[in-house]
Amino acid sequence: MGTTRVVTVDRDTKPGVGPILLGMAITFSNMVKTLFGRRYSTIQFPEQKRNTSGRYRGIHVLTQRMDGTPKCVACYMCATVCPAECIYIEAGERPERDIEKYPTRFEIDLLRCVYCGFCVDACPEEAIIMSRENDLVGTTRAELIIDRDRLMDRGKLMEYGAGYRPDEHDVRRPVRVAALERLKREHGIVPGMPQRSE
Amino acid sequence: MPKIKIDGKEIEVAAGTSVIQAASQLGIEIPHFCWHPDLPVDGNCRMCLVEIEKMPKLQIACNTTVSDGMVVSTRSPKAAQAQRTTLEFLLVNHPIDCPVCDQAGECYLQDQYMEHGLHDSKIDPEEKVQKRKVVDLGPIMLDAERCVLCSRCLRFESHVTGTNSFEFRNRGDHTQIATFEDRPITHNYAGNLADVCPVGALLSHDFRFKMRVWFLKGTESVCPGCSTGCNIFVDHRDDEVHRLRPRRNVDVNRSWMCDIGRVEYKEIALQTRLRSARIRSGGNGGASWAPATLDAALDAVLERLQQAGSACAFVASPQATNEDLYAFRLLADKVSGMLDFRLGNPQDRTQVREDKVLLRADRNPNTTGCTDLGMGKSGIDAILSACRSGKVKALLLQGPELLRFVGAADALAAVPFIAVMASHDGPGLERAHVLLPAAAWAEVDGTFTNYQRRVQRIHRAVAAPGEAMPRWELAGALLRRLGAPLAATSARELFVEIARTVPAYAGLDLRAVGDAGRVLPPDGPAPQEARA
Repeated sequence: MGTTRVVTVDRDTKPGVGPILLGMAITFSNMVKTLFGRRYSTIQFPEQKRNTSGRYRGIHVLTQRMDGTPKCVACYMCATVCPAECIYIEAGERPERDIEKYPTRFEIDLLRCVYCGFCVDACPEEAIIMSRENDLVGTTRAELIIDRDRLMDRGKLMEYGAGYRPDEHDVRRPVRVAALERLKREHGIVPGMPQRSE
Repeated sequence: MPKIKIDGKEIEVAAGTSVIQAASQLGIEIPHFCWHPDLPVDGNCRMCLVEIEKMPKLQIACNTTVSDGMVVSTRSPKAAQAQRTTLEFLLVNHPIDCPVCDQAGECYLQDQYMEHGLHDSKIDPEEKVQKRKVVDLGPIMLDAERCVLCSRCLRFESHVTGTNSFEFRNRGDHTQIATFEDRPITHNYAGNLADVCPVGALLSHDFRFKMRVWFLKGTESVCPGCSTGCNIFVDHRDDEVHRLRPRRNVDVNRSWMCDIGRVEYKEIALQTRLRSARIRSGGNGGASWAPATLDAALDAVLERLQQAGSACAFVASPQATNEDLYAFRLLADKVSGMLDFRLGNPQDRTQVREDKVLLRADRNPNTTGCTDLGMGKSGIDAILSACRSGKVKALLLQGPELLRFVGAADALAAVPFIAVMASHDGPGLERAHVLLPAAAWAEVDGTFTNYQRRVQRIHRAVAAPGEAMPRWELAGALLRRLGAPLAATSARELFVEIARTVPAYAGLDLRAVGDAGRVLPPDGPAPQEARA
């Protein structure tokens, strides 16, 4: 695709032939490139897909444990942080003493979702990550509210590859650093071993 | 009166006050776990260490009594370092399972770690001492790993309920709380154990995994379960009540409430709630209910009341607020019908305590309000005998209580028209001819008067379902149709009316009532009772 040229248009100037000719020149040069240089500005979408980065924020995936149950423990962190309020969770009880809790319902309204990725940042269990899938198609609103089983099943369907997820970069680090700086500034405390005078 | 200085602020407090209480009077929060305002001081958690001038060592604020000229520093480097180190010790064996812990959001460990700790743990999770988790103690779930051994639950059991269910077991790092042979908690105050527990060791079984607490909004209210009138918070989200929890009021319930009161919220969202008015089709005692608009139902009631003239009777409900009662009495006075509110001698039952803690035999929140507002005018027996002799042509009930009273069945059968304001569908309603949908206690503003004659405010927490309305609005709609509209458009204005016209409430306003309530002057009918 090469580098993108950005054309700024000064809207205060009087309209004239100049801007029209400039636009025509860009169109014409693209046509020449496409016809003779085989350098296309567009792709054949459903068959071809654009390359996205490893941090692309596409449709969510609920990750699984080894036994196929959701990693999610229904802590509601994602639902709390979600600025679009599109995550709905109901919690149930699991027999394992070190898990205790799991989501009996976990629904994301993809029509409300703004794909900010905060849910991934907030999750303490790496249970919700994002895929690079971005073609969201449905004929009714209801089918775009995806439930727990579809969110988990999508693990197998991640043909686009994994998108935004915690191991890409440590998102909690800046928060923690800020908290430590506040503690030192306001109370003069540096966490660690007790400091002895002398 | 000793005068002391805490963090540079001076305050004069009563002799015998502890440093932690003096600090909280100044609005300074000293971190603590084991200290609780309504439990004896134990001083075992060591979290509230503060630096006091001229004392060589740090002192615990909860068990140090103030003396004149004391200079306390709660955030000096030495005190802060000690508090942080104590917190680090308390967290040594903590499982850090906040994602699955219901206490998260109201946990002292979380709050104090963010405020005073922020250290890195030096303990590998694998090295931590493992204790028992998910132990079902009936209404309470025990998780010994999360416990900080503050002994608040032990002290609650020994000093408030006297049941002594909990004990410390084992020694050192392995100390944990337990009940004997894991016997369940059977007393009526188990919910308070989850409240006094500063961490997630004791949690409510009823509230388990239902909702994260930070979503909930707490509306100040009063428990409708009995005439004690415990002050509570109604915790709700999106017009759904999720739990009730006590609100501290030293003169009424201290920090406690009973489990019977705690489940009162379940009534609010039942499927049997009346969402619209109903009129019995097919005439008197007819076959079935036909849904009707509220206006049509009110018109039907009005027609029968006007036909009956003074041959009608009104029975108020001690479940209703003072505002409801006042509007209901205006309605009864307007058509000059008979008026009363309840069976038996209400004052006797109001003064009887069912247990030695909070619960009272009278399960109505506002019996005292009924007597104060003069609802006991005609005598219920006079009304019932008038019904039996056919002198009552129309009967308007403010609540369904009388319909469920077995002794009144023959009297009610002789009345040609009965209208009832009810919040729920239920037994007895088949005796009525018109049902008016009433809002439940959590859906209205108003006041209750408890057994001490303390007027206390309740606030609307959630919306009433369908067409349901506060009872005073239903009475007001009838009064408007009778050409004598209420001089108020809200419960607040109605209370001003009450204060203006009812001698016992003279001079009261809602600001004077405030959060803690206000006791009416003791010259009224209900005697004062000293609290043990």
